[in-house]
Amino acid sequence: MTSKQKKVVTLAAAFALCFGITPVVSAMHIMEGYLPATFCIAWGVICVPFVIAGFFSIRKTLRENRRALTILAMSGAFVFVISSLKIPSVTGSCSHMTGTGLGAILFGPSAVSILGIIVLLFQAILLAHGGLTTLGANTFSMAIAGPFVSYGIYKLCQKLNVNRKVSIFLAACLGDLFTYCVTSIQLAVAYPSEQGGIAASAVKFLGIFAPTQMPLAVIEGILTVIIMIGLESFALPELKSIGFIKEGKAHE
Amino acid sequence: MIVIDKLCYYSKLRYVNASEKFIYSIITLLFCVVSRSIAVALLVLLANGILTVKKGGIPLSRYRKLLMIPLAFLFLSTLAIIVNISRTPLDAFALSVGSYYITGSRASLAFAVQLIATALASVSCLYFLSLNTPMTDILLVLRKIHCPELVIELMMLIYRFIFVLMEISSAISTSQDSRLGNKDYKTSLKSFGALASVLLLRAMKKSNALYDAMESRCYDGKLRVLNENYPPKANEIMYIVLFECFLLGVTIWRLLI
Repeated sequence: MTSKQKKVVTLAAAFALCFGITPVVSAMHIMEGYLPATFCIAWGVICVPFVIAGFFSIRKTLRENRRALTILAMSGAFVFVISSLKIPSVTGSCSHMTGTGLGAILFGPSAVSILGIIVLLFQAILLAHGGLTTLGANTFSMAIAGPFVSYGIYKLCQKLNVNRKVSIFLAACLGDLFTYCVTSIQLAVAYPSEQGGIAASAVKFLGIFAPTQMPLAVIEGILTVIIMIGLESFALPELKSIGFIKEGKAHE
Repeated sequence: MIVIDKLCYYSKLRYVNASEKFIYSIITLLFCVVSRSIAVALLVLLANGILTVKKGGIPLSRYRKLLMIPLAFLFLSTLAIIVNISRTPLDAFALSVGSYYITGSRASLAFAVQLIATALASVSCLYFLSLNTPMTDILLVLRKIHCPELVIELMMLIYRFIFVLMEISSAISTSQDSRLGNKDYKTSLKSFGALASVLLLRAMKKSNALYDAMESRCYDGKLRVLNENYPPKANEIMYIVLFECFLLGVTIWRLLI
């Protein structure tokens, strides 16, 4: 290896290290134009049944109770604003919550799929996080896969009588990690490695985003616990009013 | 508070017919993604740069800064594509670590350059739309292409509520700052939690008040707002068609070579 090549590698490593320590992007939105057209379409198609199911469930709720419209809209705006706020992070860098876990626990996974796709569209247009062609892939990882896992873990923990704080933490943290894994796999499937194919590529994507995503998932878990505790201590009536978005099932 | 939203109201292209802008950016975006050629990407980048900065009057420094937003993601994921860890070195570069090599091939380097160009050009298409078209106009276009009424209504309400909630959250965080709410890490975590929970509480109160207000003004399940209408101009449509035909030509030419 020549000295020039060494320099290139050192530079690349330095770059990786810099971005690893100071993550500028936090939520892993796949950027506009990054996926090949076939994958954009494929992920979009995969999302369709979930989005349609969410659409019908929302429409049913609205037929029963019109008031849910403004509550739903406020919830969507809330998720957007929460994900655009800077959260306190250890390294002093700028990172954001994804809000998927919180959204799933509060509003249920079916409502989140519709709210999520709208929020992702706004994030793409207003904040340039994500994009229009990658909307399908991002919706699948952030508005479908993540929330479903969060909600599943939350319900499972409730059945198993796990401590409330622990179950909220697990739901938000693991939901976040799952989103990050799904995104890495989405990237890996689109860009398999020259040696080792999709699996090797997935490991590379997972590894390269781990320094930013691992701490973030933990922080997101802690913050979600604090938020839920805060809400339960002084906003129980409001939580009940959200509860009916989950198809008539009251919260708690 | 949201830079892009603010800028698009200043844009000189704001009053151009929204459907025109929407169709232009979507078709150009599709050309970028489908063709994945560097020539098309550079052309699109140039065209959108001129349109947004020269015609739209968005300051160049702002535009450059906005294009930087997705760079971190771009570099990290492209790095994952270039770099391989294997037992055999590849042709572009190789760095030995024990019995393994951190290595990459020429083909993947070329591919990475192509990918970066395509992604940046696609982002410029997105920016052309979002820096020159206010959200309400985009919603009008969505209504024209028969997006479900319920989704559009939700989007319209969410868009409006975002600013209400942002104002509340910035007021809360100012008052938290002035009361040493972020003096160390533990308090800042606690403050953030308090902010978010109060925000949701306020949001629900606002939504109830809003519903009451709507109902007292005869809300019957449909929100009606007045729309400003700017008819499409023949010469603008001609330019768009010419440009897309040109892109098509370049794409076919690159495919044949």
